[in-house]
Amino acid sequence: MITNNLRKLSIGFLVAILIAISAFPTANSLPTGITDENTTNAVIANGCNCHNTNTEATASVIVNLTLPENFTSGETYTLTLNISGGPNDLIDGDNRGGFFVMASDGELSPIANDTHVQRPFGLTHLTHTAEGNDYREWNFEWTAPDKQDISVEFVAYGNSVNGADGSQNDYWNKQATTLYGVDAVVEVEAHEDLSGPQKLIYAFAIITVTLGVVVIGNQMVTKDQAFEDVLKGYWKAIYPWLTTTDHKYVGIMYICTGFGWFFVGGILGLLIRWQLMEPRIDGDFLTYEEYNSTFTMHGTTMIFMAAMPIIFGFANYLIPLQIGARDLAFPRLNALSYWLLPTGGIVIYMGYFTGGAGDVGWTGYTPYSSGDSATTPGTDFWVAGQIMLGASSTLTAINFLVTILRMRAPGVTMMKLPLFAWSILITVFLLLLSIPVFTVAIILLMADRTFGTLYFNVDAGADPILWQHLFWYFGHPEVYIVILPAFGVLSEIITTFSRRPIFGYTSMVYAMATIGIISFIVYGHHMFTSGADPLFRFIVMLTTMLVAVPTGIKIFNWLATMTGGSIVLKTPMIFALGTIITFTIGGITGIVLASIPMDIALHDGYFVVAHFHYVLVGGTLFSFIGGVYYWFPKMTGKMMDEKLGLLHFATTFIFFNAAFYPMHNVGLAGMPRRYATYDASLTELNEFISIGAMLFGIVQLIFVYNVLYSYKNGEEAGNDPWNGWSLEWTTSSPPPHNSFTKIPTLKVAEEEGQ
Amino acid sequence: MSLIEDLIFFDNPSLWNDFGGTSSGLGGIVWQMFIWSVIVGLLVIIWLAYILVYYRHNDGDPDPKDVLKLGVFPKERGNTMIELAWTIAPLLLVTWLTIISLAPLNYLWDVPDENETDLTIEVIASQWQWEFVMPSNYIMPAEFTKCGSFDSNGTQLQNEHVTYNCLEIPHNSIVRFNINSLDVLHAFYIVEIGIKQDVVPNLQTLAWLDTSTVTPGEYNIYCAEMCGKSHSVMLAKLYITEVA
Repeated sequence: MITNNLRKLSIGFLVAILIAISAFPTANSLPTGITDENTTNAVIANGCNCHNTNTEATASVIVNLTLPENFTSGETYTLTLNISGGPNDLIDGDNRGGFFVMASDGELSPIANDTHVQRPFGLTHLTHTAEGNDYREWNFEWTAPDKQDISVEFVAYGNSVNGADGSQNDYWNKQATTLYGVDAVVEVEAHEDLSGPQKLIYAFAIITVTLGVVVIGNQMVTKDQAFEDVLKGYWKAIYPWLTTTDHKYVGIMYICTGFGWFFVGGILGLLIRWQLMEPRIDGDFLTYEEYNSTFTMHGTTMIFMAAMPIIFGFANYLIPLQIGARDLAFPRLNALSYWLLPTGGIVIYMGYFTGGAGDVGWTGYTPYSSGDSATTPGTDFWVAGQIMLGASSTLTAINFLVTILRMRAPGVTMMKLPLFAWSILITVFLLLLSIPVFTVAIILLMADRTFGTLYFNVDAGADPILWQHLFWYFGHPEVYIVILPAFGVLSEIITTFSRRPIFGYTSMVYAMATIGIISFIVYGHHMFTSGADPLFRFIVMLTTMLVAVPTGIKIFNWLATMTGGSIVLKTPMIFALGTIITFTIGGITGIVLASIPMDIALHDGYFVVAHFHYVLVGGTLFSFIGGVYYWFPKMTGKMMDEKLGLLHFATTFIFFNAAFYPMHNVGLAGMPRRYATYDASLTELNEFISIGAMLFGIVQLIFVYNVLYSYKNGEEAGNDPWNGWSLEWTTSSPPPHNSFTKIPTLKVAEEEGQ
Repeated sequence: MSLIEDLIFFDNPSLWNDFGGTSSGLGGIVWQMFIWSVIVGLLVIIWLAYILVYYRHNDGDPDPKDVLKLGVFPKERGNTMIELAWTIAPLLLVTWLTIISLAPLNYLWDVPDENETDLTIEVIASQWQWEFVMPSNYIMPAEFTKCGSFDSNGTQLQNEHVTYNCLEIPHNSIVRFNINSLDVLHAFYIVEIGIKQDVVPNLQTLAWLDTSTVTPGEYNIYCAEMCGKSHSVMLAKLYITEVA
């Protein structure tokens, strides 16, 4: 009964959404047009020389008349004409455009009450009105002739006017198109070129189908199975993954999805670097719009779809094991959180198939993101996907909070939690307090973009930097959300491989908690140049400086843990040590940026880019790759290959620094971030960075190979290959179905008589 | 310049060298930041190197006395004095870095009133151009030749009160910028001088420049806040010219 009602309810929701989408008004958008016969004849004879300066057409002005595929007699069609490109590539505004359109047959007419388009008395063409002169896109109607076995010639002239200084610097172009009736005999012409995304889809489809045929056919031949049986076999293998609520399976899916998106985001990063190989003009490699989409997707993917899933994958797998629980508190909720992630990711990427993904930056600053000049509907997809990812994170946060607070095994008191569990506890606390704010902000943005509300509409009097407050209230805790678990991983690895307890466990916990608290009162440091209240900016400078203190404590405690220890240098430890170096550099540049006078010069420049890549790649990603090497034996029962691991670290560390260290210099030289081109004097350094980045990308394949190779051929790991102390090492590798055959009890060294 | 030199040396935006004469040289914020960064970075790296040299585990080493045991929460290690020391030391360091930030901050944010300036320019940013509007009583000095087009007699065609993507201002004067946006966010960024201020629609922001602190010449103005398709070509030139 309940399911029936739910089904009706969800169909109702879908219908409501479809109606809302179809009712969403599509925007249409342009001195008095060409209204006398003499000028008309002149235009037909000589082109659009009404603005006397340019007698020749300008090729770069794009005049685009949208026509139906064919026409049926007597039918009325709505046509759209717009102009873009050219030297005056402006958006709509005072005196920015004009047009003139004629059809060889049928009847052109303005849409009723249209104040932008007119048909001058006694003439057959359409032109703009005084009001229509402010636009660059016009809609009008065309009624087809009685016969439908003929073709009709359309000729459109577009005038790209620059608004300001009279008729100087105005440019025009012409488009002539033939429209055929449904019964017209059309000479077969060469097939129209496929668009980029279409090619991509077809290529993927062809590859997938070919692979499928080869693999299934191979199975059928070698094992002599019927087609159905082969498919059943695959279904049996996939089914448990699709339906699982087991934290270990969900954890592995999270980690794999995270690294999968990391690969996609990495490719986008390399596209950015290829674009910046040399100062390029628009469209040389990527158009400027495509470039904007690329860095938007790169940032969004890396933060929300790569870093966070990798973190929560490890948390999923390890938290129940570390606290001695059989699963998370809400396993089904956990599966829902997971499945929202690939779904949200795909929705965000759908933008690529609709003519350009979101181009608003991962920060999505309004009023650009709420206005018309952002890509549509790419940005809408970006917004929709973000809502899903926000929901996913909120659910995850609740789940882990309850699990860690309520489900600890005997002996595991709060101050006896492994530091990774502590870091996740603080992380989900931050997440629960911050991400709903972002989700609400993005819902407001969706309402602005889709339903015409005015939350961020500056012309209607909205606060222009409201979004920045909402975003960074979430955005700053977010960067600690991705770095605190890395601290947890580092603490675990360093303790184990120094073969002795962490130095200052209590102060480590307090340091992380302090970072968590401070993270909410420092977000204004992203807004030092924004025009927010100077007192606000001054206070956040003070609090931001304070972050250095607990972070410093952590680094010094790790170093003190190792001092006097007995260090075993295996791959996880080497990655941890590399992380300490790169993270320290990222931390230091963070303090440089915290000082407002320095930030004013460096803000939104490559120095900032260098800083956050040192922290996020050199901090989060390096430590979690170390985490993969460290916990892989627990997850699969196989050890990873040490030689390949060492090679992977050496190449990664070198190329990472080669790619990102020079960004500091480029930033000091004044190159702003998010620039698709740059001053020619910086070419040499940018080339160096690009080559470093590409090598950095390529050597990650060693890691992929190592994982696959070790999964098949690795040595057997045993329960506790690294001699760790925490509870995850007490169960078998991989853990049994319910994680622990018997719930363990954590003992305490002092009581064990050591 | 070779790549290696590029990596080692960098040009400070000129404002950094001398924030209005208040914090220049080695005591100034740029050098202090640089010196302390190097000290902290070296401290960590040298400590790490020392550890790796002296505390590697070799085959046959006995287990340390507090070695980790599976399923046993390890003994608490720590030393309150040492931990306090490395809490207070970074606190002192960041306090010092904050203090030396104050004078330049005060200099940057203390925008002179319009009646105290030699020239107040309305900067109007829109997608994707910079418009500079001079005050109504402004008389362009005869030395100014950079902005605007000229007819065959050398007379400036463009209205001297309004220039696009080009701005010429006198040396040795205090210039104030009232910055406005017509559409979305932009950022007014004078690259070589290190002035940056977001351009916010519906909110006038301010910046100022004492041109006596910089050498006359050509400077770049960039847009530093993502504003759409042609963001990376929303550039302008700033000329600082000596006038008699």
